Amino acid sequence: MAGDDEKVKKTPQTGAAGPRKLDRRDVLKGLSTVPALGLFGYAWHRQRQYQQARIEEAAAAPVAAGDVQEINVALLGAGAQGQVLTDAMLRIPGLRFRAVCDVWTEYNQKRVVNSLKKFKHEVNAYEDYREMLDKEKELDAVVIATPDFWHSQHTVDCLKAGKHVYCEKEMSNTLEGARAMVTAARDTGKRLQIGHQRRSNPRYLHSYEKLLGEAKLLGRIVTINGQWNRALTPDLGAPDRYAIPEARLKQYGFRDMHQFRNWRWFKGLGGGPIVDLGSHQIDIYSWFLGVNPSAVTARGGNLYHDPATHEWYDTVMTVYDYDTPVGPAMAYYQTQTTNGSQGYFENFMGDQGTLLISESDAHAAKVYRDPNAPAWDTWVQRGYITAPKVQEVKEKAEGVTDVRESVSPDEHKVPIVLRDPVHQPHLQNFFDAVRGKATLNCPSEEAYATAVAVLKVNEAIEAKTRLSFKPEDFTI
Amino acid sequence: MEDGKLSRWQMIAITVLRVAVGWHFLYEGIAKLSSPSWTAAGYLKQARGPFADLFKWLASQPNLLANADLITMWGLSLVGVLLILGLFTRLACLGGIGFIVLFYLANPPFVGYFYSIPTEGSYLIVNKNLVELCALVVILVTGSGRFAGLDVILHGLFGRRTPSR
Ligand SMILES: NC(=O)c1ccc[n+]([C@@H]2O[C@H](COP(=O)([O-])OP(=O)(O)OC[C@H]3O[C@@H](n4cnc5c(N)ncnc54)[C@H](O)[C@@H]3O)[C@@H](O)[C@H]2O)c1
Repeated sequence: MAGDDEKVKKTPQTGAAGPRKLDRRDVLKGLSTVPALGLFGYAWHRQRQYQQARIEEAAAAPVAAGDVQEINVALLGAGAQGQVLTDAMLRIPGLRFRAVCDVWTEYNQKRVVNSLKKFKHEVNAYEDYREMLDKEKELDAVVIATPDFWHSQHTVDCLKAGKHVYCEKEMSNTLEGARAMVTAARDTGKRLQIGHQRRSNPRYLHSYEKLLGEAKLLGRIVTINGQWNRALTPDLGAPDRYAIPEARLKQYGFRDMHQFRNWRWFKGLGGGPIVDLGSHQIDIYSWFLGVNPSAVTARGGNLYHDPATHEWYDTVMTVYDYDTPVGPAMAYYQTQTTNGSQGYFENFMGDQGTLLISESDAHAAKVYRDPNAPAWDTWVQRGYITAPKVQEVKEKAEGVTDVRESVSPDEHKVPIVLRDPVHQPHLQNFFDAVRGKATLNCPSEEAYATAVAVLKVNEAIEAKTRLSFKPEDFTI
Repeated sequence: MEDGKLSRWQMIAITVLRVAVGWHFLYEGIAKLSSPSWTAAGYLKQARGPFADLFKWLASQPNLLANADLITMWGLSLVGVLLILGLFTRLACLGGIGFIVLFYLANPPFVGYFYSIPTEGSYLIVNKNLVELCALVVILVTGSGRFAGLDVILHGLFGRRTPSR
């Protein structure tokens, strides 16, 4: 080795073998890179300080003294989504976490409690939510992210205990459950927001208020299509050392660890992909059209998965009919879990233009102007949409006007980007409403109407026929 | 440099390289350790290329995955510390090369593969992983730890004099 050879030259040899003596030079050389480790430690320390300062800044800043009280929050259901919501809430000023409740005390509960600790939120951990409601008297709000079949009981009990509630979609796996939630919110007068977070997403709000509302870019919407295609994913599992004892699993309504982790796929626990994924987007259909559907036709099946381990349909294709104030409309939606092609989006088509929108930045939002539509220059000037692609090209190559370039429909981008986590604005809206400074973007009545529309798809698949809705189906 | 031996400046440059690579490993490890919900599952599930099935299978085995997560977090940190200190340098290089080979194979920038994970540069066959791997090979074969690093001391205390080679 090169380094050795150098050394060999410098130190006089004393023998063929035997321990070498260390001289001062060797020790210095030996220790020469140790300071780099110290420097790393220092840099890392500064980095953590910086992050901590940002968190404290966020926690302290906009809560003007005396103006707004701190809201005491608990998380009920600390799974994947519970963690996502927690991370988003940590960015919202004026919240104080008090408690975390989750039956998976061996793993999920610990994980969220630890992540809160890092942000200086000392919380009490509970397995049973009733014990939490008994002991945590000062709680103002509970954020619920348990499996769908627990939502109704959890929400109703929290509301009755006098807490405001943010509950994840699907608001319930049964309509009775969902109705009980709406009634409880009315009876108690507490806020109940359901987690259809697109309702607070600036991209969707801009499209709804400005593009469809004010500018009416699409003209009359006649058809919609949308999808959530998801690539095959292995079933969720859990390391054996974190397994929940059988008695506790049974107590909370799960057959075994497989069902506990993959509850979405089981009847009576979740609603399968159409409910899990579709409800987000079918919610947007009705919101943007301004009416609930009048009928639904659907086909679905277990085309790929074994119904023994995946009870709900892995593939669903469905068509809704709408009677809008300006005429009939039809909407297609599909979800499948074997191929993620083109991911998820909603595509609204009117007689003057098309809006392609998605929560995912892969599609973001784009509008396409149909040739017969009036010019959109005003809206470009106001910054509602960007200049179309073709125009940009012309501007760059000044003086070279190529008529062939403007043949394809103009594509305008919707220049609204959400830099925060996607759930943050919806949570922010909820806490603003708790403070009386905003109205809920997705109150339980709205989410109930969506639940009626979405849960009917599974019914229609079983009935193998077109099912109609009465307007009163959507109200309580 | 004469007779294929490295000059003092060349060794210093390689030592700087070693510390820089070590720093990167250490921070990759520590960042994962200090993020409570980090898991390699997402990365593994995105795997493409000839070994994709193996990586995806690994992601689907919760027990194996939990171990893979621990090994990655602690392994990266340990390799990083050892490289910075120049302690057991060759072992650390081999460990680091092992990690990078796995990362590289999970998402190799081969002709015709496209990724949903956004990358900040453009790569064809050679990506930054591969460059870092080459850096480790250089550190490995030049034995930088015995030029500047705790290996010098270790070698002095326990090493056997090498009779002229
Ligand atoms: N809005 C969105 O984009 C979005 C995304 C994902 C999930 N979700 C919704 O969030 C909810 C949770 O989904 P997830 O993916 O986190 O599931 P998950 O299985 O990862 O987490 C559920 C957690 O609830 C706990 N739990 C189960 N029963 C409980 C009980 N009775 N009391 C207390 N804790 C209990 C489990 O231990 C687990 O930690 C679902 O309703 C889902 O539809 C919404």
